[in-house]
Amino acid sequence: MLMARGVTIRFGGVVAVGGMDMDVHPGEIVGLIGPNGAGKTTFVNAISGTYVPNAGSIRWQDEDLVGRTPNRLARMGVGRTFQNVASLSDLTVLDIVKVGRSVRGAGGGLRDLFASGRRQDDELAQKYLEPLGLADHRNTPLQMLSYGHRKAVDIARALAGEPDLLLLDEPVAGVAPAEAFALAGFVKKIRDLMGCAVVMVEHKMDIVMCTCDRIVVMAGGVKIFDGSCAGAQSDPEVRRVYLGHA
Amino acid sequence: MLILICVAVATIVVLPALGRYGAYIVYAVTIAAIGALALNLLIGYCGQISFCHGALLGVGAYAAGNFGNAGQDMSISLLAAGVVTALVSVLVGLPALRLRGLYFAIATLAAQFILEFLFRLLEPLTHGVAGLMIKPAPFLGMDLSNDRGYAAISIVILVASLIGVSRLLRTDLGRRFILIRDSEMVARGMGVNVALTKLWAFAISGFLTGIAGGLLGFTTRIAAPEAFEIALSVDYVAMIIVGGLGSLPGALIGAGFVVLLPEAVQRFGESLGAATQTSAIREMVFGLLIIVFMIYEPRGLYALGGRLARRLRAPFRRAGAASQLAKSEGVN
Amino acid sequence: MFILQLIVAGLAVGSVYAIIALGIVLIYKCSGVVNFAQGGYAMLGAFFTYALTTAGLPSAAALVVSLLLMGVVGALTQTLILRPMLKAPVVAVMMATLGILIIFRAICLLIWGPDQIGFPKLFPDGSIEVGGIFMTYNYVAAFLLSAVLCGAFLAFYRYTPLGLMQRCTADNTRAALAVGIHVSNQVTIAWTASAMLAGLGGSLLASLNGLSLGLSNIGLVAFPVIVLGGMTSLPGAVVAGLILGVLQAVTDGLLTPAIERVLRDYTEIYSVGALQQVIPYALLVVVLLVRPQGIFGSKESERV
Repeated sequence: MLMARGVTIRFGGVVAVGGMDMDVHPGEIVGLIGPNGAGKTTFVNAISGTYVPNAGSIRWQDEDLVGRTPNRLARMGVGRTFQNVASLSDLTVLDIVKVGRSVRGAGGGLRDLFASGRRQDDELAQKYLEPLGLADHRNTPLQMLSYGHRKAVDIARALAGEPDLLLLDEPVAGVAPAEAFALAGFVKKIRDLMGCAVVMVEHKMDIVMCTCDRIVVMAGGVKIFDGSCAGAQSDPEVRRVYLGHA
Repeated sequence: MLILICVAVATIVVLPALGRYGAYIVYAVTIAAIGALALNLLIGYCGQISFCHGALLGVGAYAAGNFGNAGQDMSISLLAAGVVTALVSVLVGLPALRLRGLYFAIATLAAQFILEFLFRLLEPLTHGVAGLMIKPAPFLGMDLSNDRGYAAISIVILVASLIGVSRLLRTDLGRRFILIRDSEMVARGMGVNVALTKLWAFAISGFLTGIAGGLLGFTTRIAAPEAFEIALSVDYVAMIIVGGLGSLPGALIGAGFVVLLPEAVQRFGESLGAATQTSAIREMVFGLLIIVFMIYEPRGLYALGGRLARRLRAPFRRAGAASQLAKSEGVN
Repeated sequence: MFILQLIVAGLAVGSVYAIIALGIVLIYKCSGVVNFAQGGYAMLGAFFTYALTTAGLPSAAALVVSLLLMGVVGALTQTLILRPMLKAPVVAVMMATLGILIIFRAICLLIWGPDQIGFPKLFPDGSIEVGGIFMTYNYVAAFLLSAVLCGAFLAFYRYTPLGLMQRCTADNTRAALAVGIHVSNQVTIAWTASAMLAGLGGSLLASLNGLSLGLSNIGLVAFPVIVLGGMTSLPGAVVAGLILGVLQAVTDGLLTPAIERVLRDYTEIYSVGALQQVIPYALLVVVLLVRPQGIFGSKESERV
């Protein structure tokens, strides 16, 4: 399980995250929500090794995560997706998924040098692209896809690394509502399929409510609520932060 | 791939009929293509701009020369040159672990000058300013030390490298190269070990560069500092840009273009006399062409060729393309 | 005393490096383009000055006319070559400037030939002595001229409305556009100024060391200078130019003989050749690795 204690991240004088605690148990989907600027993405960046916290500890399966590089984390089973997905690559969807697959192992990355691996391609496509509705696009260059599809590719890429902990950074931000609910549905499917724990950063309440087992609410860089979806909706502090009245 | 091998075989078969000058042209272009391929792997696929390719070719030439002069077979010498150059290339690439883009390009500029300086300094290995004479060596026991032999060897090596690199690009490593070229930050975030991947790019590119440099050394029979100056590095960058960044045929086309163009101007100029004017005109044409390319087709001749081909075929395709478009829109 | 003599000579050459590097930094700040052709502009400027003086102009007038011509050349190259390349990748733009360099060299080769040319005397012969240090008028004049020009240029950049627009463009191109600055004209102005700076630097350098095509290599020496100075800092380029000039002079005068003595005692290597030409690059690598933002530069941060 993931255990974060007192995580603090400062940028110059600005405290983006100030003493954040959070636990994630195996196989659990946790929604991390909060208004803009609450420090959600920054906190996730600290877990995934993009930022090094100024204080606090983050432990994953009893190993310290602080200061590890993303590629080390990937090998320890921590994968993530990005809020803004890359659009410039002329790699195909399947290529991206293969890169995702390759980061979990420690190999030199030369395994396809002699074999053609068509059967493997089919397997990958079926396992990671099919559930996300990307099967038809496996040979499409990433830059030709719509934004929603690219976000789905990013999830497939992270999944291919077979993470035990998957961090989704606003997986549906900027995606059309219909697609958004479909994507959220996939998140559940993923968990059932692969048994990984999921932390989902999001500020669309409805999406979070229908997907997550538990909700953590952040505001101003600290945790203000941790509990069930129903609890979050009735919590006065959460209502104040979200709706602006006491 | 098959076409490539056929062309190579055909060229080797035709070689005896070409005469010495023809054979010279063939191996000059082929060796340049191997070097350009190596550089394209680094710049075009992995995004690491390098201006020290000339000096690295020099390292290959000196290394191969030393092994050859010590009595080794040419094949062994070339492989050894590849390994030595790969090591030097990794060394040159080390700053790339901290630097990016422009800053790294400037660091390679420094590497170019430092290597040039070392060529002059390390006399026991390089014979300083005078240059290292390289004795002909047998290739796999055969005596191929003539223009046609060299042409045949270079073609075989070029084909092997083309196949090797195109396979490499379809491995996880190759895909990581491209990802790093497109965005180092994204690659890092995805969990790619950027530093290690870059070093691999330098090593593989360096290996090929060393072989090309070794071939240069054996064919010219001398390795001297002034042959591997910054101008050579510029030539090679020009090759891959003129041919097409990040395209395998591009490296070949670019090499042909950059090697043959001065040759053609030279021929033309010789009929007029006056050596200085000729070389000035040659340089001017070269410079102008680089600029024209950069402005009008920065993606190179290969892309230009592709576009022309599409345009020529367009009248026949238009109906089909339209229905294709409609279909794909329907899906979305 | 000898070392002081070296330092003075180094400062004179370094001040010329400074004005040549200033031009590169100016263009880089303004348009993000690294001008590999700066040495070409320096060489062309020197050849212009040479041609004008041999045509009978007094040296001061020749220098001024050559500077004006260089300004025209700078503006022309920017408009004809760089302006159409706004959206091209970095490598392509670098290569285009290298293409400019190649063409300039070819033009000079065609007109003036490959040999070293005795550069006309811009300044009278003779030297002055200050506290036991001898300085030829040549060196004194080169130093003073570049110092005045550097100062004038920095003041222009800092205090005039046009300088303000330049800084605005350099700071944030889109914001500059938004407040109504004609950005591409600003870039043209930067190229014009840069070519003039280079032309003057080239003429001064030729008056110290003679004139040949090799002068264009000065543009490459300018890279260690701008990296040391921090790429985007104009005062940094000046200080770094001076540092490198002194370092080269000291290397040439003291370090090289000392190293060679040691090498001759212990190895078969007889000469280290032009060590002073490599020193800047060695320094460059060290600076890039230890402090990539240079002496005066500031670190850029990135966002995920």
